[in-house]
Amino acid sequence: MRVFPLLLPLALLLAGCATPQNNYDPLESVNRPIYAFNDSVDKAVLRPVAQGWSNYVPGGVQQGVRNFFGNIDDLFGIPAALLQGKWHAAGEGTGRVVLNSTFGLAGLIDIGSDVPFKKQDEDFGQALGYWGVPSGPYLMIPFYGPMTLRDSVDPLSRLAWGPIDYIDPLAGQIGYYSVAMVSLRAELLPLDATLQDALDPYAFIRDTYLQRRWFKVYDGEPPHPLPMALDDDGDDDAAPPSEQATAGTATP
Amino acid sequence: MQRFISFFLAFGLCGFMPHVLASSETPEQLVRQSSRDVLEIIRKNDKDPLKVRELVDARVAPLVDYTHMTQLAAGRHWKTATPEQQQALTREFRTMLVRTYLSALTIYKNAQVDVKSVRAGNSPSEQDVRTEVNLPGEKPITLDFSFEKSGADWKVYDISVGGVSFINNHRNTFASVIRSEGIDGLIKQLASRNAASSASK
Repeated sequence: MRVFPLLLPLALLLAGCATPQNNYDPLESVNRPIYAFNDSVDKAVLRPVAQGWSNYVPGGVQQGVRNFFGNIDDLFGIPAALLQGKWHAAGEGTGRVVLNSTFGLAGLIDIGSDVPFKKQDEDFGQALGYWGVPSGPYLMIPFYGPMTLRDSVDPLSRLAWGPIDYIDPLAGQIGYYSVAMVSLRAELLPLDATLQDALDPYAFIRDTYLQRRWFKVYDGEPPHPLPMALDDDGDDDAAPPSEQATAGTATP
Repeated sequence: MQRFISFFLAFGLCGFMPHVLASSETPEQLVRQSSRDVLEIIRKNDKDPLKVRELVDARVAPLVDYTHMTQLAAGRHWKTATPEQQQALTREFRTMLVRTYLSALTIYKNAQVDVKSVRAGNSPSEQDVRTEVNLPGEKPITLDFSFEKSGADWKVYDISVGGVSFINNHRNTFASVIRSEGIDGLIKQLASRNAASSASK
């Protein structure tokens, strides 16, 4: 019971929303309405368009578009790999970008994978994580989706400079981002059924995103699972009494 | 008398042990065999997701410890549930997992599953088998199976796709529903979703 005074403000803070508690989501009360907004935009516009894209655009074109944007991801993956001292990954990434941007017709064809230069999966958020920067609060970005404060460094730096700068008119830029969004959304369509079944889609997306980022920062070898829940030690074995007391107090 | 019985039991069991040991396969063998069978089921029935679901469920059911899985997803609330509630929750959670995950398998028609490594878990009775699912032209997806030995057999109690664990993904939601509506509330919510989807198919 000694923990009670400590937990009281927290309990009050969370009392407004009878929702799952997550160590990485202090802004949940702000994030949830944004998620609801994003979800309605998705249902009304993005999802139908992505379905049309997936159903009516020829497979070769879809693949080309995925390759094109994938090539740009590879480009930004090179400095991200260098920042982590992953020389080999940076080398393979460079090989891919050079090959795919030239012989692969500006990235439309992924020749690199045939050579084979393996596709790397690095970004600036992971680079910061590699050096021990914690993820910071989980954020739900309007019109975009899940993000953490640390990981926002990647889209922000890519907004600052990118191949997009060489597409001049505003219409071209809008087209570029629209196609990128639709293609990305189309790739996620198979997951919609699972999401619809989730008891709490917001928490489902958040917990998936956070675990996924944790896994990527450690290149698939995290030292332990991400400790997400406030009131669970993540184990089935008898919880120590102190923990039970803590959890009991936190329950409104 | 008691001593006699335990002596008898001990030797009696020893007599059976070789059989038990011979028939219990390592987690790695289990993953190799079942993934091969599952991929074959998918290839043969790729036009019929419902049949895939049914056949795959029947194939993997003996290998999965759904009770343990549900227990971990329910976290500390598991101990407060009655045995009947535990059973009902396990049943509905299992139905939901089978329904949502197994019918999505048809996109893995051309997949190949490679076992990458086997790691010891936190105790000698735990092992993780790490595999990679390869689809032509796609980045490989890591698929981890967490095994625990119960009795003579190894059983799966968690699956992680690309580092995202089934159990962790449901733990927060389960906890919040249990907090606000109790364990019966959670069972009811899961059941109504399961029923709604079987009615629409």
